[in-house]
Amino acid sequence: MDVKTKKSEIGRREALAGYLFILPTMLGFLLFIIGPVIAAIILSFYYWDLFTSPKFVGLDNYKALLHSVRLFTIYKNTLIFVLGVVTLNMGGGLLIALIVNRKLHAIFRYLLRTTYFFPMITSVVAVALVWNLLLNTDLGIVNYYLGKVGIPRINWLLSSKGAKVSIILVEVWKNIGFYMIVFLAGLQNIPRQFYEAAEIDGASGLRRFFYITFPMLSPTFFFLMIVGLINAFQMFDMPYVLTKGGPGDATRTTVMYIYETGFRFFDLGYAATVSISLFVLIIVLTLLQFRISKRWVFYR
Amino acid sequence: MSVKEFRRRKWLYFSGKILLYLFLLFVVLVMVTPFVWMFSTSFGSVETAFALPPRWIPDLSNIRAYQQLLKSIPFFLYMWNSFKIASLITVGQLITCSTAAYAFARLRFRGRDFLFFLLLSSMMVPIQVTVVPLFILMRRIHLYDTHASLILPVLISAFGVFLLRQFFLTIPKELEDAARIDGASHFTIYSRIILPLSGPALSALAILCFLYFWNELFRPLIFLSSLDNFTIPVGLTMLRGQYDVGSPTRLMAAVTLAVIPVLVVFIFAQRYIIEGITLTGLKE
Repeated sequence: MDVKTKKSEIGRREALAGYLFILPTMLGFLLFIIGPVIAAIILSFYYWDLFTSPKFVGLDNYKALLHSVRLFTIYKNTLIFVLGVVTLNMGGGLLIALIVNRKLHAIFRYLLRTTYFFPMITSVVAVALVWNLLLNTDLGIVNYYLGKVGIPRINWLLSSKGAKVSIILVEVWKNIGFYMIVFLAGLQNIPRQFYEAAEIDGASGLRRFFYITFPMLSPTFFFLMIVGLINAFQMFDMPYVLTKGGPGDATRTTVMYIYETGFRFFDLGYAATVSISLFVLIIVLTLLQFRISKRWVFYR
Repeated sequence: MSVKEFRRRKWLYFSGKILLYLFLLFVVLVMVTPFVWMFSTSFGSVETAFALPPRWIPDLSNIRAYQQLLKSIPFFLYMWNSFKIASLITVGQLITCSTAAYAFARLRFRGRDFLFFLLLSSMMVPIQVTVVPLFILMRRIHLYDTHASLILPVLISAFGVFLLRQFFLTIPKELEDAARIDGASHFTIYSRIILPLSGPALSALAILCFLYFWNELFRPLIFLSSLDNFTIPVGLTMLRGQYDVGSPTRLMAAVTLAVIPVLVVFIFAQRYIIEGITLTGLKE
């Protein structure tokens, strides 16, 4: 056997091993992601309630989707949540990371890190149940302590605005630790020499932030924005437990609507249609962000 | 700089520092208070549950709420269900993700980059899209209302493959060269060299995966229907549905029992969780 055939023999064996190694993942990917996505698209052209046989309805589901006033409200809620949650998480997470990144006492740093983590690793259901009681208008401790500092009683969970604000605040309370950790890791990756050089040049703190910290942190920003947006669009647990989507539809999100349409009222075709609209929205926004990112994200 | 000026600056510096610490302390309080209230309330009676100001010091001998809880729902069964589901998924993902990640990181084969890209882009697919067809499928193959319906579809994970691949790429190739010269198979290199060197990444994936499925609500709510199959999150929502305002103490007892194991695990695993999160935040 000459060298060339032996080499290609090794290459073939390597390729075979490669396919075998990815086989389980690709099989699952085909069966449980690609397959269902195609099935969902097909399903969106049908009316099906599980108990009768599926009926082809053409574009009816899509027409209903576009004309539904209720779904419009629900999408509006979802967008409000996405904007509120992502903005506050990014802003707050960065602020705290900047503070923690300074010289803090080691014990204090540990304390901070640990406490931010608590809400992050517990289930949304658990924390939403606790906050549901804490935010009770008459008996909750939030209004009680706000009253102590002279802030009048707020109707947190039973008014349309209050419920929206509650969802956003508790969601941020729960996830801000994640944002802080990722920002902190990003900050610690910035070489110290940059700051030292800037200091010698006499750059002010604000200038240093905008000319060093922000550009160096832009990949972190970008990553968190992508992940944060995708997650926020899929919000379900928080409104499901904290407010049950109420009052009225004030805190109902797209995913709650999908759940109710599909698995309470068994209108599976329409549920699939709404889920596809969410999918398209997420793809468009993610691709758009990648597009825009070329202008502001700075890779070293 | 005059002495006066120096004093002024020193004072400014210290008051700034104190303000900073006060702010952080306030944030810490906001983060911790709900857990303390939950714990204290679970040891109270119905009358004291809504006492204002709240009773922060719990009377640990009063475990009536816990007794009531265990009488009203099979809480430990739910805990076992959650544990079983989350661990089986975690083991499955560790196997499928590590083998795929090894191939994507180290082996050359046709279509590799395309397949990897395809897999990654599936992270954009919201589970709500796949859950409707999967629900129909599970009913068809008679897996509806079984734990298998929750476990099977998530034995693979694009995120997990991505995370492990990122880590495998950081392992120096030279380590494998010696083994390769000795004629070791790819499986030997994967199991004897790559895996033993990837402890931190594997544990990070294991913890993130376990936590995610231990806490998951959406799919169990859809795929399970009998009371005995429920997981903790579903059990908790049922509890609230049943006794809306009736028994805050029982509810808080349930939440406390649900939260404590996670917190205990966390205190030991904090380092790995942070490593895992920062690993996913890496660029490229």
